[in-house]
Amino acid sequence: MSKDMNLLSLAENLVNYSKSKNVDEIQVSIANEDEFTVEVRNGEIERLTESVSKGVSIKVILDKRVATASTSDFDDETLKFLVDDAIERAKLSSQDEFAGLPDEFFDKSQEIDLEIYDPLLEEIQPEIKINIAKEIEQICLADKRIKLSEGSFFQSGFGEVFIANSKGFSGSFKSTSCSSGVYLHSADENNSYEEGWWSNSVNFNGLMKPEEIAKIAINRVTRLIGAKKIETQKVPVIFERPMTSMLLGFLASCLNGHSIYMNQSFLVDKLGQKIAGENINIIDDGLIKGAIGSRLFDREGVPTRKLSLIENGTLNSYILDTYSGRKLGLKSTGHASGVTNFYLDKGNTNPDEIIKSTDKGLLLTRTIGQGTNPTTGDLSRGAFGLWIEKGEIAFPVAEITISGNLKDLLNSIEILGDDLIFDRSITGPTIKVAEMTVAGI
Amino acid sequence: MVKIEEKYFFDKIRLSKEELTKLLSIALEKGGDFSEIFIEYRFNNSVTIEEDIVKSSSRNISIGAGIRVLNGEQTGYAFTNDLSYDKLKKVAITAGSIANSIKTNSAVNLNEQSSKNQFYSTHNLVTELDLNKKINLVRSAYDAALNYDKRIVKVSSTLADEVQFALICNSNGIFITDIRPQTRLMVVSTAEENKIRDTGFENAGGRVGVDFFETDKRPEEIGRLASEEAINLLSAGDSPAGEMTVVLGGGQSGVLIHEAVGHPLEADGAWKKTSIMSGKLGEMVANPLITIYDDATIPSYRGSLNVDDEGTETEPVLLIEKGKLVAYMNDLLSSRIMKHKPNGHGRRESYRFSPIPRMNNTVLEKGDNTAEEIIKSVKKGFYAKSFQGGMVNSTGKFTFSVNLGYLIENGQLAKPVKNATLIGSNFEILQNIDMIGNDTGFFLGTCGKDGQSVPVTCGTPTVRISKMTVGGKL
Repeated sequence: MSKDMNLLSLAENLVNYSKSKNVDEIQVSIANEDEFTVEVRNGEIERLTESVSKGVSIKVILDKRVATASTSDFDDETLKFLVDDAIERAKLSSQDEFAGLPDEFFDKSQEIDLEIYDPLLEEIQPEIKINIAKEIEQICLADKRIKLSEGSFFQSGFGEVFIANSKGFSGSFKSTSCSSGVYLHSADENNSYEEGWWSNSVNFNGLMKPEEIAKIAINRVTRLIGAKKIETQKVPVIFERPMTSMLLGFLASCLNGHSIYMNQSFLVDKLGQKIAGENINIIDDGLIKGAIGSRLFDREGVPTRKLSLIENGTLNSYILDTYSGRKLGLKSTGHASGVTNFYLDKGNTNPDEIIKSTDKGLLLTRTIGQGTNPTTGDLSRGAFGLWIEKGEIAFPVAEITISGNLKDLLNSIEILGDDLIFDRSITGPTIKVAEMTVAGI
Repeated sequence: MVKIEEKYFFDKIRLSKEELTKLLSIALEKGGDFSEIFIEYRFNNSVTIEEDIVKSSSRNISIGAGIRVLNGEQTGYAFTNDLSYDKLKKVAITAGSIANSIKTNSAVNLNEQSSKNQFYSTHNLVTELDLNKKINLVRSAYDAALNYDKRIVKVSSTLADEVQFALICNSNGIFITDIRPQTRLMVVSTAEENKIRDTGFENAGGRVGVDFFETDKRPEEIGRLASEEAINLLSAGDSPAGEMTVVLGGGQSGVLIHEAVGHPLEADGAWKKTSIMSGKLGEMVANPLITIYDDATIPSYRGSLNVDDEGTETEPVLLIEKGKLVAYMNDLLSSRIMKHKPNGHGRRESYRFSPIPRMNNTVLEKGDNTAEEIIKSVKKGFYAKSFQGGMVNSTGKFTFSVNLGYLIENGQLAKPVKNATLIGSNFEILQNIDMIGNDTGFFLGTCGKDGQSVPVTCGTPTVRISKMTVGGKL
């Protein structure tokens, strides 16, 4: 059941057209997207955006030389031009023994329902979506501590991908997504604070309820009121779930096959070695039903899987597409489209207990800026959070920085929370790191 | 097939002025008070040499149209890749549904105009260059980077070029086009010695032609600078941590002005009162040493534009004059709400987005001190040389991340240090900049806001900040 199976035929036709031009290999992928977004501020719709868009990507390989092309212009003349032009450009690329299509593809007889498509999202009326955004903001603005709203939103999308190649693979899958959230300001005499919260899901019914989103957002912004700077020192740092995601996003970039073969990662040549504490298990699982990062196969048609990247602290695998896999003498792990559901496995400590276990330290609630270097593993970011004294939250802190090195951090995660939730494609529980430099005054 | 001339693009778009006028009227059938069509045809090419071989070569052709309807402070927006009249009619109706009244507005006649501004040439563009010649440019940079030092182990060199054809028409009668080239040559070098490894980066470009790489910036220099940074980082230690005096090197530290001053002066934050600079027009917001402007009219710069993405002619805009806030950067919506004159800062990443106020080339005006004098004045402090980028939140807290810096000891640059994020708050920093150099330089950036990326530059002389938190290690 597809909205537009013509797009799969179009992909197959482009493969056939290229074959007639004597290319050795060709891969075509087409993506089709419908999106709806409403942004609400102070109770009124501020912006309503709707779109229908599609794009095609082509890769041709000729005598082990590669060229790629892409377009949103589906005019027949443009598509043929792009194939012909790619063939001419490929002749000027260098021969690369590692270039080529994958050797194995997703086996359609193994197809399972990943539950990543929710027809309800295409059926519900815009008014319902608009009202959700309005309701979230309304609850927030009723709280006197909220100084202003930067706006709330509801977004939903439908997407479908079609892939065909000259090795005879062709396949497609569709998915939906929705998200809703709000961004708020609070203030004291000296400073303003901004925070927010959003929920996302592949299913309409998987979204958090408006009152839950509002409650979390209000708590996140009001708990910063009265924030101060602290003295520069080394302390244990507790990462709230979104902060664990931030750290894991950095780790994912260091595990990427391209970073590895270009020597731009501190994890080069570390396969099979202990790179993290015994308690660390990191997994990428593309097959979790109903999870936001799930998909059957990547854009090369290679099946996704449950992949152990770090097991009890030992590095088991990198994140690879076909090319980076061959470069490293390994096989694709099905990651040509990036990570799927990339997570740090949970422990068994309640997050409140983690705070109680801390005599003095920082509960990190938000970071801003870049400040990550995959080559060295160095991390330094602007930070906000709550100061912990004697196992309890003492006061909020702002305008500080945290810094450390991912190599050290992975080996000093003392406690893993029991709160793993698949609400982001990169996710993990609350964690406590033994020590980082927190710079302030 | 690829011809960089207006006729070529109009042939691709195949919509007459009469059809566009009709679409603008259809968009207003529900009573909106302004409608606009933005049509884009864009080429993007890139070629990369990595590990000694031409590893990738790509071409993208993008086509699309976005229709916007304003109804008071509300925006309806819809876009499509399909430029057939029937599809666009549906898009116009969708965008127009933001309004819900019985009165119907109709579009006036479109008045075809061409911009007086000519800040970039459409001749001799990199996009028109033979792939062979592009590869030679990339190769020159690659070789210079690799041969810079035996410790350089991996290099990646990429030439990216673009031509955007934009057509903007609206219910006020504007009908204007702009052909915008954009080119960038980037080199990433990784150095390794005794199992210590680090990565350096350099890039150059703008809305330039092929001659830029012959006269302004040789590819070899770009390659050498990337490798020089990688080698310097090898011996760099950890940055210090805590509050200290900070000197920002000229050029790259434009990131500071972009984050700390630029974003808070975008007019959407001002009228929504979400910006810390909201309601401060005419007030002293910085010390009197500070004059800041945004200038989209600097010829061939990465952030320059003849007209913005709403068809408004660009002009240099003075933002802070000797400490006093004199203007915000606005788009049509914010200028209408705030009753300010539009000043050409309505930008969008592509037809997929409605325009919002954005920066172009943001500049802190030169001061009187030489860079040497500024460094000499600091007994103990931190010198920031190259940057990864920065970020600001709407409450005025901003960071920028330093790749390579130096300790300052007794007025001189001492030990190299790396990887530190600096954090400050907007008003404090505008008071604490207490020395400004007479040098200049620009940081080439891609600025992200509300999910949209646009090319910008920011320029600053060497500056001294009396006190700022440096996020290194203890």
